Amino acid sequence: MVNHVTIIMIEDDEGHARLIEKNIRRAGVLNEIVPFKDGTSALTHLFGPDGSGAVSAGRALLVLLDLNLPDMTGVDILKRIKENEHLKRSPVVVLTTTDDKVEIQRCYDLGANVYVTKPVNYENFANAIRQLGLFFSVIQVPEAK
Amino acid sequence: MALRDQNRAPLLSRLSQPVLLGLGFAVLIAISAASIWLVNQARSDAAAVAHTLEVENSLAQIQVLVRRAESGQRGFLLTRNPSYLQLFDNSSRDLVPELGEIATLTADNPNQTGTIQTLLPKIREKMDELGQTVQLGRQGRWDEALAIVNTNRGELVMRDIASAIEMMKAEEERLLGSRTASARESAQWLLLVNIVGVIAIISVAAVSVHLSQRTNRALRQAHAALAVINVDLERRVEERTADLQEANQEIQSFAYIVSHDLRSPLVNIMGFTSELEELRTDLFHRISGLRERAGDTNAAQDEELAQDFTEAFGFIKASIIKMDRLIKAILDLSRQGRAEFQPVPVDANALVENIASTVAHQLMARDAKIEIAKLPPLVTDRIALEQIFTNLIDNAVKYLRTDVPGRIEVNAIESSAYITFLVSDNGRGIDSKDRARVFELFRRSGPQDTPGEGIGLAHVRTLVRRMGGSVMLDSELGRGTTFKVTLPRTLTMQRQGE
Repeated sequence: MVNHVTIIMIEDDEGHARLIEKNIRRAGVLNEIVPFKDGTSALTHLFGPDGSGAVSAGRALLVLLDLNLPDMTGVDILKRIKENEHLKRSPVVVLTTTDDKVEIQRCYDLGANVYVTKPVNYENFANAIRQLGLFFSVIQVPEAK
Repeated sequence: MALRDQNRAPLLSRLSQPVLLGLGFAVLIAISAASIWLVNQARSDAAAVAHTLEVENSLAQIQVLVRRAESGQRGFLLTRNPSYLQLFDNSSRDLVPELGEIATLTADNPNQTGTIQTLLPKIREKMDELGQTVQLGRQGRWDEALAIVNTNRGELVMRDIASAIEMMKAEEERLLGSRTASARESAQWLLLVNIVGVIAIISVAAVSVHLSQRTNRALRQAHAALAVINVDLERRVEERTADLQEANQEIQSFAYIVSHDLRSPLVNIMGFTSELEELRTDLFHRISGLRERAGDTNAAQDEELAQDFTEAFGFIKASIIKMDRLIKAILDLSRQGRAEFQPVPVDANALVENIASTVAHQLMARDAKIEIAKLPPLVTDRIALEQIFTNLIDNAVKYLRTDVPGRIEVNAIESSAYITFLVSDNGRGIDSKDRARVFELFRRSGPQDTPGEGIGLAHVRTLVRRMGGSVMLDSELGRGTTFKVTLPRTLTMQRQGE
């Protein structure tokens, strides 16, 4: 993954955000990580004040998305991204505690690219995030149009 | 109470209807009997009247015949024309059977018989006198004949005859009078009895109709009341069911949300604890480096500190792992509570035998046997039934005693709509104070010498309840336990949350 790709991390739990960042860094990913603690600020950043998404044109974005957010569910954000003309090709990685089959299906139906369940066991967690980081280092991310 | 009143009216009618019916029949029988008796009476009265008339007729005939015989005798003596003898002879001849008849007719009446005893000699005397004169006339001794007539004896006898006949007639008249009165009385009684009977029957019918109407009215009211109660009851049952379902769903979603949200901080606790562990390694590394640089060679104190760290981390991590398992159990349970059942025909025998085969090696190791009786098939959710039996059989195996050969039995008792499965063991049993507790989540009974979370039976109870059944246990401490799972023969889909 080339360096100009920005990782948008939408995660309400600061501890999780910190642990995710630490382990992604440990995998050698040096890309900029922009954290958001709630859905509203993340949507403003992604879609701009007008909500059209034009503001993201030309950016190469990878979204790390938690489903349990204080102001909205991550599914809504996923839906907005995948329905948006500019952002629909940006990879979205759902990283959440939910391992409910129905929820997983719904996310893939809406166009999620990867769905990862956060393991409670930290070794597994750290391992999973590091592998995700390794995965990030090899994938191609298109620029938003 | 309105209900009690409604009960009383039909009860009264129920008692009265047969009584009324019996009364009606009794009246009819009485009328019929009275009528038959009275009609018979009337017939015998009429016969008596006819008899009287016959007697009167006979008496009149006798009188006429005697007179005619006398007329014949007088005509013959007066005109000496023998053609008058014809009249005399005919009358004399006819008189004989007539006298016999009157004697027969009045034989039943002592008064009349007495009178006849005086009448007959008089008639005979008269006829003798007439015969004597006629005989003299035939012989041409007219004077002698006339002399007899002139004695006027014949006339006197004739008067006696007439008076005797009048007496008999009077007697018959008296009899006729009394018999006619009796006949009239009988007819009046007949009429009266019939009128009274008709009135009685009409009354009985009227009372009966009234009672029937009252019964019908009470029945209709009871029906209406019952319908209202039924509707009310159904509505209430529906309300309660809806309330319960809502409460159940709330609990399920509460459990889900709580367990889900508890996981997030747990990830942090676990994550940063691990990070701290890493930090500790770095820290002690630096300390030992610094100590070396300061020329301190005593590492014992560092070692002690490191051990304290390890112990603390050990407890924290063990607790987190346990907490994670518990949260996972709640999550699973709530997920089970939300899963849709799919009723299919299930061969319980095959299902239980399959489960038994999965614990076969454990049974062998414990010198235990499992016996499965003939189990009835049922329509239910296969996975749920499998989980129920798996948990019960696993439990039975887990808590077998080590001092006796283990024995597990699976039986079934059938009723019309339900099947009760019995899973019995001769294991260590459950203390009576724990019998309700063992069905609660995370609760276990007896010595905690086997691994487990206290989830299995809670899981069984949740499933069984959702399937519309119940689970109970009988147990004797140190002797064994029997779990009784009652399930509907046919599982019907409950309405799930919208």
